[in-house]
Amino acid sequence: MSSNPTAWSWRWPFAKRPPSPAANDRAADLFDQRFQRRLEYLSIVSRRRFRGRLRAERRSRKAGSGIEFADHREYAPGDDFRYLDWNLYARSGRLLLRLFEEEEDLLVHLLIDSSRSMVFGAPPKLEYAKRLVAALAYLALANLDRVSVVSFAPDLEQRLAPTRGKNRIFKILAFLNALEAEGTTSTQAAMRTFVAQQKRKGVAIVVSDFYDPSGFEEGINTLRYHRFEPYVIQVFDPLEARPTLAGDLQLVDQETGVARDVTVTPQMLARYVRVHESYRRRIAEFCASKQVPYFGVETSVPFDDAVLDILRRGGLVG
Amino acid sequence: MPLGLHLAGWSALQVLGLFAGVGAGVVVLYLLKLRRRRVAVPFVQLWEQLLADRPTSRLFSSLSRWFSLLIALLVALALSLALGDPQAGPLDDERHWVVLLDTSASMRATDVEPNRLAFAKRRVEGLVRQLGARDRMLLAQMGETTFPITPFTDRADTLLAALTPVQPTDGRADLDAALRFARDALRGSDSPHIVLVSDGRITPTAAGERALAEVEAALHWIRVGQGGRNLAISAFAVRRYPLDRSRGQCLIELWNPTERDEVAELTLVADGRTVDMQQLSVGAGARVQRILDDISGVDQTLEARLAIVEAGADRQPADDRAYARVARRERVKVQVVSEGNLYLQAALLLDEYLDVVETKPADYTPLPDAQVAIFDSFVPSTPPSVPVLYLNPASDSEAAPFPIRGTVERPYFDRLVRDHPILRWTALRDVNVKESLAVRLQAGDRVIAGDRGRGGTRSGAAGSRAAPLLVAGERAGQPMVALLFDPRKSDLPLRVAWPLLLLNTIRSFLSNGGEEVSSFRVGEPWRVAVDPDARTATVATPSGERLEVPVVDGRPSYRATRAGFYRLEAAGSAPETVAVQPDLHDEPLMQPAETFAVGSQSASPPRLRGASWWLDPWKWLVLAALTILAIEWLTYHRRWTV
Repeated sequence: MSSNPTAWSWRWPFAKRPPSPAANDRAADLFDQRFQRRLEYLSIVSRRRFRGRLRAERRSRKAGSGIEFADHREYAPGDDFRYLDWNLYARSGRLLLRLFEEEEDLLVHLLIDSSRSMVFGAPPKLEYAKRLVAALAYLALANLDRVSVVSFAPDLEQRLAPTRGKNRIFKILAFLNALEAEGTTSTQAAMRTFVAQQKRKGVAIVVSDFYDPSGFEEGINTLRYHRFEPYVIQVFDPLEARPTLAGDLQLVDQETGVARDVTVTPQMLARYVRVHESYRRRIAEFCASKQVPYFGVETSVPFDDAVLDILRRGGLVG
Repeated sequence: MPLGLHLAGWSALQVLGLFAGVGAGVVVLYLLKLRRRRVAVPFVQLWEQLLADRPTSRLFSSLSRWFSLLIALLVALALSLALGDPQAGPLDDERHWVVLLDTSASMRATDVEPNRLAFAKRRVEGLVRQLGARDRMLLAQMGETTFPITPFTDRADTLLAALTPVQPTDGRADLDAALRFARDALRGSDSPHIVLVSDGRITPTAAGERALAEVEAALHWIRVGQGGRNLAISAFAVRRYPLDRSRGQCLIELWNPTERDEVAELTLVADGRTVDMQQLSVGAGARVQRILDDISGVDQTLEARLAIVEAGADRQPADDRAYARVARRERVKVQVVSEGNLYLQAALLLDEYLDVVETKPADYTPLPDAQVAIFDSFVPSTPPSVPVLYLNPASDSEAAPFPIRGTVERPYFDRLVRDHPILRWTALRDVNVKESLAVRLQAGDRVIAGDRGRGGTRSGAAGSRAAPLLVAGERAGQPMVALLFDPRKSDLPLRVAWPLLLLNTIRSFLSNGGEEVSSFRVGEPWRVAVDPDARTATVATPSGERLEVPVVDGRPSYRATRAGFYRLEAAGSAPETVAVQPDLHDEPLMQPAETFAVGSQSASPPRLRGASWWLDPWKWLVLAALTILAIEWLTYHRRWTV
C-alpha cells in the first residue's frame, strides 16, 4: 500500500505507484525557522489575548498555602486549626475550613496518535498533529508549565519525560520529528497504560483522528476517571470528509488491511459525507456530555489559526 | 447477409474474422478493466455502513459493466461491417467504364458556360460520383490521338484529380482511334461500357465499328453543346512572290457553317502589326475564298483574325485564328561560271536578293564567300564546297557529276515530281528540248523531272530510252542539282518556269533540304530541318512553355496540339518560327448531333447506380461507431458506465 494513499488518480493495474516524498525531507521542513517564528508569534498573541495569565498561573483548587481564599469545607480531625473560619462558626455554629488557591505549575500531557491512519492526507495528518502538539507544547512551556509528550497507537509507543522551560522546545521538536506512523489505533488500551504510568495528574490533550475500531469512548473515560483533564482534538483531512472517489474500487483500511469492494457513485459519495459528519458529531456530542472540550480540526486550516481557535474556545490558558 | 444486404468490400468470412479478433481483444481488455482499483482509506468502517446496499450497487455495477462491454462490441461490429461495404440489394457485376472525353477543337465552343470542355468535365465528375461499389472507370482524352489519363480505378479522388488539367486542343477527334483504344482497354472485361462525352459531330469508319463490335461494349453518349453562331477560317496560306520577295500573296477561305448570313471582319497581322483589315459577307453555309495580293511588310509571320461584326456572337474561338510563316528574305551570293548566257543572267536578275558574280571558265576559282555555284556547260576539276547547279554538265572528266553515256534526242518532260520544291509553281510538260545527256546516275540521285521513254531516239549506249532531265543529288558532300541539257537548246528559257527553276533551286539549297511551308497542321509532324548533329531541340509554345524534344534524322520529333506560332531552337541551327494551323475539318459545325450511333449500335445515356454519399451504408456504420464512441466517452466521464 502506498504511504501516500491520497493519490486518488486512476491508474492501470500494472503501473507502479509514485514514491511518496521522503520522510526525512518533510521532517527537515516540519519545524523549520519559519515554524519556530510562528510559535513565538503564537506565544505572544496568546499572552496578549488571554491577559492575566502569569507565571505558573494555573490555580489548583486544593487546600493550599496561597493567599487567595478559594472555598470552605467541613473540618475533619487532623486539619490545621489555623484555617478554621471562626466568623462563619460564630454565625452558623459549623466548623468549616478555609481553602486557599495553591500556586502550582501545570503538567500538560500531549498525547499524539501515531497509528497508520494518521499517514493519510497530503500533507499527512501526523505532520499536522505534530505541529499542533509542538505549538501547544511551546505555549505551555512559555507559561512555565511542564510538558510531556506521549505517542500512542495500539498502546503507548514513545514517551518524552515532563520538561520545563522554553528552551526545552527543541527537545520536544526532536522527539516529534522522530515519530513514525505505525500500528493500529486502540485508544482504550493506550489510555489505560498512560494513566497507570502517570503519578501526577494534569491536562491530557489527545490529538488523534479517533478512527478506533474498538471505540474512542472508553479511552476518554479512562482519562476522566483518573482525574485527568482531557481535551480532545480530532484531526482529519478534507479528503476524508469529502472524498473524490468514483468507479469500481477496493477500499483497504490503512491500519487493519481490511478490504471492501465498492462501486462509488455520486450518490454514495454524498451519503459517505453524511456518515463521516455524523461520526465527528458523535465524538463531539460524547465529549460535550462529559464536559470534555472537543475541537475538530481540518488539516486544510493553518495550524496556527487552529491553535488560536483552540485557545480561544478551550480556555487552555485561562 | 440479413436484410438483403450484400458485401461489396471484404467478404463475410473476413468481416466475421475481423470482428471475432477485435471482439476477443475487447473482451480481454474488458476483463482486465474488471480489476478494481485499490484505494487506501483511513477508516473502512465508515464505508461499511454504505455497503449495506451492496446488492443494489452490485446489480447496478454489473449492469453498467455489461453495458460498457456491449458498447465496445457494437463499435467493433460497426467498423467490421463497414469494411465489408454492405450494399442493399444484390450486387451488380463488376463493370468497367471507359470514358472518352472529346478534347478536339469543337470543345472550345462557348455555347455552354464557360465552354463545352468545362461542361463535359462537370458531367464526367457527376459520373465519377455515381460509381457503384463494383464499378471501375478509366478516363481517356480523345483528340488526334487517344490516351488514358487514369488507370481503371474506383477511387473518385484519382479520377477527379486527373480531370482538372485536361485542356482542349486545336485538332480533330479521331473516333476510330478512340474506339480501338477502348477495345484494347476493355478486352476481357465482363461488363464493358464506353461513354463518349462529345458534341457527337464525329463519325467512325468501318474500323471503328469493328473495334466496338469486337469488345461488345455498351455504348453511351453524353451530349455536349447546344449550337450557336460561328464563322471559321477554313484555309490560310501565304507565299512570297517568287520574283519579288518583298511582297507576298495570301489565300484565305472563310466558312459559315450555320444557317445564318454573317458579316465578318478579317484582320491580317504581320509580325505583330496589323497590315490589313476588311469586312466580308459570308452567306449561310457558304465558303468564301479570297486571294489577297500585294501584302507587304511581312518579315516572318502572318496571322489572320476573324470575328463576326456583332461582338461576342461567335461561339467558337478555335477557328477564328490562322497562322502562317513566310519565307525569310536574305541575300545570297551566287557564283556563275559561264562563257556567257544571257538567259541565265536575265533570270538571276529577277531576284534582287541575289548577288551574282560571273566568272569565265578559264578564270574559275571558287569564291570563298559564295553560297551557291552555277556551272553553265562547265565542270570544274574539283567540285566546290558549296551547293552546285549544273547546267548541261557534258564532260568526261573524273570530276564530272555523271558519267556521260550518250545523248537523247528530243526528250520530253513527262515524269515530274510535282511536290518537289524545285518544281514549285512551274509548268514543264510542254517544254521542247532538242537533246539531253544520257547519264549514269549515282547512288542517292533522285530524278525530279525526266522522260519516261515513250518515243524519241537515243544515241550512244544502248538501253531504255528513258532519260532524266533534272536530277538532284549530292556530290563531294554538297547538294547538287543538274539540268541535263543545254537550256539554249530548248525553249525553256522562254518559259516562266525557267527563272522559277533557277530560283527554286537556289532557295532549296539554302533551306538545307527542308521544305518552305507556310504552316503545319495540328498533329502534323514538322518538316523543319535542323543541324543533323543536334540530338535535341527546344520548342517554345505559344503559351510560353519550353519543351525539350528529340531530333530524329535532322527533324524535331514534335506534334503540336495547339495552333499558333512556335519557336524552334537547336544547336548549330538558326532559330526558326513555325506556324501551326488548327486542324478543323468539321469542328466549326456548331450544332451538336441529335443522336449518336456507331454502326447499328445507338448510344444511350449512361446510367450508373446513382448512389449518393448518404446512401452508402458503410458511411452510416462508421458514423454510428463514432457516435457510440462519443456517447461512451460522455457516459464514462460522468461515471454512468465504467
